Amino acid sequence: MPQTMFDDEEGTLGMLRESVASFAEQNPGAKALRARRAAETDLDADLWRGMAEAGWLGLLLPEELGGSGLGLAEQAVLSETLGRSLLTEPLAQLVVFSSVLLKRVAESNARTALANGIADGSRIVSPVWQGSDAELSDVSAEPRPDGGYALSGSYHFVSAPHSATDFLAIARSPDGLILVSIDAAADGISVTARPTVDGSRLGHVTLKDVVVSASQVLAKGSAVQAALDEAIEVTRFALAAELAGIASRALEIAVAYTRDRVQFGKPIASFQAVQHRLVDMWGDAEFACAAVVNAADAARDETARATSLAILAAKARAGDAAVSVTRRAVHLHGAMGFTDECDIGLYLKRAINLNATLGQPEVLRLQFVALERAAA
Amino acid sequence: MAEPQQDWNTLPDEDFRRIFRDWVDANCPAELRFMRKQRPLFDEVAEWYHALANKGWLAPTWPQAYGGMGLNPAKHMIYVEEWARLGCPRIPDHGIGLTGPLLLQYGTDEQRAYYLPRILSGEHVWCQGYSEPNSGSDLASLKTSAVRDGDEFVVNGQKIWTTLAHCANWILLLVRTRKVEGKRQEGISVLLVDLRTPGVRIRPIPNLREEADFCEVFFDDVPVPAGNLVGEVDQGWTLAKSVLGHERIFLGAPTRPEYALARLETLAEATGKFEDKAFLSRYARHRLDVYDLGSAFERFAKVLRAGGDLEADVSVLKIFNTELYQRITEEMLEIAGEAARFEDDLDAGDTKVDAMNLFLDSRAPAIFGGSNEIQRNILAKAVLRLPG
Repeated sequence: MPQTMFDDEEGTLGMLRESVASFAEQNPGAKALRARRAAETDLDADLWRGMAEAGWLGLLLPEELGGSGLGLAEQAVLSETLGRSLLTEPLAQLVVFSSVLLKRVAESNARTALANGIADGSRIVSPVWQGSDAELSDVSAEPRPDGGYALSGSYHFVSAPHSATDFLAIARSPDGLILVSIDAAADGISVTARPTVDGSRLGHVTLKDVVVSASQVLAKGSAVQAALDEAIEVTRFALAAELAGIASRALEIAVAYTRDRVQFGKPIASFQAVQHRLVDMWGDAEFACAAVVNAADAARDETARATSLAILAAKARAGDAAVSVTRRAVHLHGAMGFTDECDIGLYLKRAINLNATLGQPEVLRLQFVALERAAA
Repeated sequence: MAEPQQDWNTLPDEDFRRIFRDWVDANCPAELRFMRKQRPLFDEVAEWYHALANKGWLAPTWPQAYGGMGLNPAKHMIYVEEWARLGCPRIPDHGIGLTGPLLLQYGTDEQRAYYLPRILSGEHVWCQGYSEPNSGSDLASLKTSAVRDGDEFVVNGQKIWTTLAHCANWILLLVRTRKVEGKRQEGISVLLVDLRTPGVRIRPIPNLREEADFCEVFFDDVPVPAGNLVGEVDQGWTLAKSVLGHERIFLGAPTRPEYALARLETLAEATGKFEDKAFLSRYARHRLDVYDLGSAFERFAKVLRAGGDLEADVSVLKIFNTELYQRITEEMLEIAGEAARFEDDLDAGDTKVDAMNLFLDSRAPAIFGGSNEIQRNILAKAVLRLPG
């Protein structure tokens, strides 16, 4: 059955896979998703703590920042296995994104505190940077005499908006872009949230003259754009792996169901119309896994441009695969697939959310072509 | 006489690639590169065939003791990649890729000593006699019969879709030597048959491109020496099935879709189509399909490079590859607009694009080598283990 295939001479990746699988056995993803949905919260604090204890939240952070300094292959396996297990806490959106931003900025007390807090789970750091069109927001930062800024404006598509302890914010100042950390309880912040299709919540965070001190300013100028670009890229990579995991697992569930379900005296998986559908779903999931591995290989062996192309391709391929495989899997469950009690619909909803996060396939494909043709 | 060979497998990949590429680039005649015809006749590419034979590079996977290069699968992939990249023509290769490996694995010493050198010299040109009018996808139902009569088999029946039979002089024939109830795969044998034997008649069949590259072959009381049987009598199905090893990956190599995409790009550049947002969206899909096919190919290539064996799942590449090739050539006709109805090549700036030629060519690969529906049946059973 489809799975990413990496060299794993030391067995680290295998252990990581097993660790997520046993965590998921203790904490079934579908059950946690339904509980979080019923509680109308944006994050399951118990699960989050467990994930921190397992060491997954510091995976990409360097050791001097409290992490384990692992690379993209490890992140791929973690994200893929979370996807398979339907463990839907926003690890890619919060932790992967923030880890890359923090890795890219200069050393400071604020940076160390945030990174340590991310890795040990004591702080929930949510990156905020998107406007209502999902591009860079127009939140403005007025310089203050003490070297700090006052921020005003709105951020959209914010993960864990209520649970966040800190926001890692990008704003436009007269000094160019700035990256600052903001205490989520600071004066002038108001948060509203909307439910997402997969039982979580995304926020709209409005800032009115929110004051940050000079010590909270982590980076300024062109370094911020570079850090943001890389954070988007690596998060897309993690999402691609998670989507590939969703596609692979949804295929397995559909295979198991159609083998069990008997009509006309036979399992429906014995009918050729159903078999060819399942084979095509399997092929799509295999291609998604191969695209993720290709992106990790490119990041290790090739140029930054080649890596960018590979990640755009992987997110597009895995997003398409996850959404279309889960959609077909729902159909193959017949009326059962249309019930909320059956887990397969949750996979579909999760796939839709992640596929829409940081660029749908069409957008990514056009970016790929634009990047490739610009350099040609 | 062929040049002596070194141990290619111990060379670093990049060295082997460079040595092979440099020689091929210097020795494959320019007029044979990127031929319009997918399956040229023997005489059309004889010069290239003999050049390879003299160099000792005609049979990449045969052991060196038998005149081959003795390449392992990893080196063989490089051979095939460079061959395609340089646009070398396909040579009639059933002797190299089918009869040779079958005799190496199952033939007698006498058979190997007689047939293998004649394949390398080009004296024997082989074709593959498998499909019959009523036995295509359901190959095991084949009826062409071989009845033992003293020192001979007497063959009667008909083969069809026999590629390049009209330029071949030998055929590797699947025949029924025993009628069996139930398990039809039993009772099939493999015979080596000289096509110049009285009673053999060959009729080329023009294909959709109005070229004759496959044929009907009729057998009317054709005597075949008993010594031309390969392996055990009645066990031919297993033989024929086992001969395709790592070569199955090449059915999924992205070469054809890559080539078609490059032609599509030329046509689109020349006609300003890249300014058209609707086209750009469709183009981006094709481009990423080709790119991702490369990633999927690499997933299986890694298995071979690590010394592993391919399993049934590799045929996912064949399905994706052949259907993608079709989509890209369909796109060419789409953007050709009113000109899509012409049979000859389309103007594209200072060059021409053979859109119709490629469109028609792309109909075949999804059918041959086991149609894509048969591939899906196999995957359903062998990979997903779905009930029958």
